[in-house]
Amino acid sequence: MQAGALAQKFGGLRMARRGLRGGIVPLLFCLALAFPWVAGDFYVRLAIEAFLLGAIALSVDILLGCAGLLSLGQAMYFGLSAYLTALCYLHVTQSFWLVAAIVGAAVALVAALLGAVAIRAKGVYFALITFGVAEIAGKVVHNTRALGGSDGLIGIPVPSIGLPGIEIALRNDRVFYYVVLVAIALVFLGVTRILATPFGSVLSAIRDNASRVPYLGYNPFWYKFLAYLLAAEVAAVGGLFYPLLRGFVGPDLFGFEISTQSVVMALVGGVGTLIGPLVGGVMITFLQSVLGSFTERHLFVLGVIFILFVRFLPGGLFGLLRRGPPR
Amino acid sequence: MIAVRGLAKSFGALRAVSDLDFDVRPGQVTSIIGPNGAGKSTVFNLIAGTIRPDAGRVELDGRDVTALAPHALAQLGLARSFQISNLFFGLTVLENVRLACQARAPRKRFLARLDRDRALADRARAILAEFGIADLADEPAADLSHGDQRRLEIAVCMASQPRVLLLDEPTQGMSPAETLAVDALIKSLAGRVSVLMIEHDVDLVMNISDHVIVLHQGQKLFEGPPAEVRNSSAVRAAYLGADHGAD
Repeated sequence: MQAGALAQKFGGLRMARRGLRGGIVPLLFCLALAFPWVAGDFYVRLAIEAFLLGAIALSVDILLGCAGLLSLGQAMYFGLSAYLTALCYLHVTQSFWLVAAIVGAAVALVAALLGAVAIRAKGVYFALITFGVAEIAGKVVHNTRALGGSDGLIGIPVPSIGLPGIEIALRNDRVFYYVVLVAIALVFLGVTRILATPFGSVLSAIRDNASRVPYLGYNPFWYKFLAYLLAAEVAAVGGLFYPLLRGFVGPDLFGFEISTQSVVMALVGGVGTLIGPLVGGVMITFLQSVLGSFTERHLFVLGVIFILFVRFLPGGLFGLLRRGPPR
Repeated sequence: MIAVRGLAKSFGALRAVSDLDFDVRPGQVTSIIGPNGAGKSTVFNLIAGTIRPDAGRVELDGRDVTALAPHALAQLGLARSFQISNLFFGLTVLENVRLACQARAPRKRFLARLDRDRALADRARAILAEFGIADLADEPAADLSHGDQRRLEIAVCMASQPRVLLLDEPTQGMSPAETLAVDALIKSLAGRVSVLMIEHDVDLVMNISDHVIVLHQGQKLFEGPPAEVRNSSAVRAAYLGADHGAD
């Protein structure tokens, strides 16, 4: 009797959580739609940056939250994508779609080569390899004169996006904001849909108990490999827009600071929730900006936030809403 | 079904298994018994592809499968359970079984939405019902009792529709009543699947096995039907004698 009542109570709680979770994404999207009409230009541009950095956090979450792989080098795909985008607009073409295709293909190639090696490493070694390769890539760019060296590439033209019947000019901040919002929303929906398949369920099995997976007849390598490719492409979407926001790219885009910051974003929002890292990305980016106007020690604050979440709220903000047991 | 020929494995100076031959016959329950350290678990790990042998071969239906990885062996119809429950503890009972079912599902469904795949969920529920854990379908596997986890372990194995089932101490840590229930369960599997079992509980082994292999210090001491094993003086001296001297 008592147990039944308890089960009912928890069942109800679970339903309520699911309802909240179902409603919260559309609500956040509506808030994001309204944002440029209440905020000034500075904050609109900051929000664009937040979405693009949020894409890296989402990329971290695909690996960490869905497949149990901690990458400390996801910024590399952001940086790679940003540099390729910049080079294409400077020297090759002004077609947004052609650039997107080139960047997508190049990132897939690099991710396939690095992924095939890194995926075979276990636990902390995967983190170390991803970290190391990203650092090397950053240093190579830093020391390559043709890529602008430590100054990076400047004067990147802002293209228009050609759609059937309409040409979207990205010069207008508000238009640019909505384009990026739609792009990130599509990426989020796409990733959510991909992970709702049997493929996604095998990834969650790998995260839960990797050593058991082969005995069901799945080769974990291919699942991790595909997750790694997907994550790289998601981070690359951020890099596809970043040069258009700033007008320049620098070697720090590959850096450890962005990689670790995106891990913190994912953790604050909630690892394994997909929406959490995007929200965490927005929160951390705005917080950094506000703190940056008071103190130069904003990284210290980021560190404290990281420790507090790991200690007291390891599931992140959206972990509170998640159905089922803590993972 | 399974043929083991000249199988050998050493860990450093320790010869865990040496020159082992035996067969697992279709539709039968074959058991390996032996004192602790006899090499039972090593034999299991060698057959399931967890570790590679130093010498010898394992055949599945006449095909040499010695060098195959665990996932390839599983695809050929070899399922194994684990001595210590090895489940997806963060996933629900249904999700555990469904993962095993879907490993055998056609590839074209691979990018379909899993929550819309009724046929797969129904198949998983049918298996849960068969193993008497249908009412636990939505519980996280971590919340199950030890006995139910052992059941789920076997259910997951059977969900992948194996032709050969390796059971590693299926009654480990179970109460006598639970052991009896698993006893009946394994009996009901015989005929549908060939079973190779390691078990400490000698009574269970004698009760449900068609064929028993006695390992001693990594070598086969004796093999035959349970009655012959019981009456073998060599076996009594080496192993059963310790526990069953009064028999």
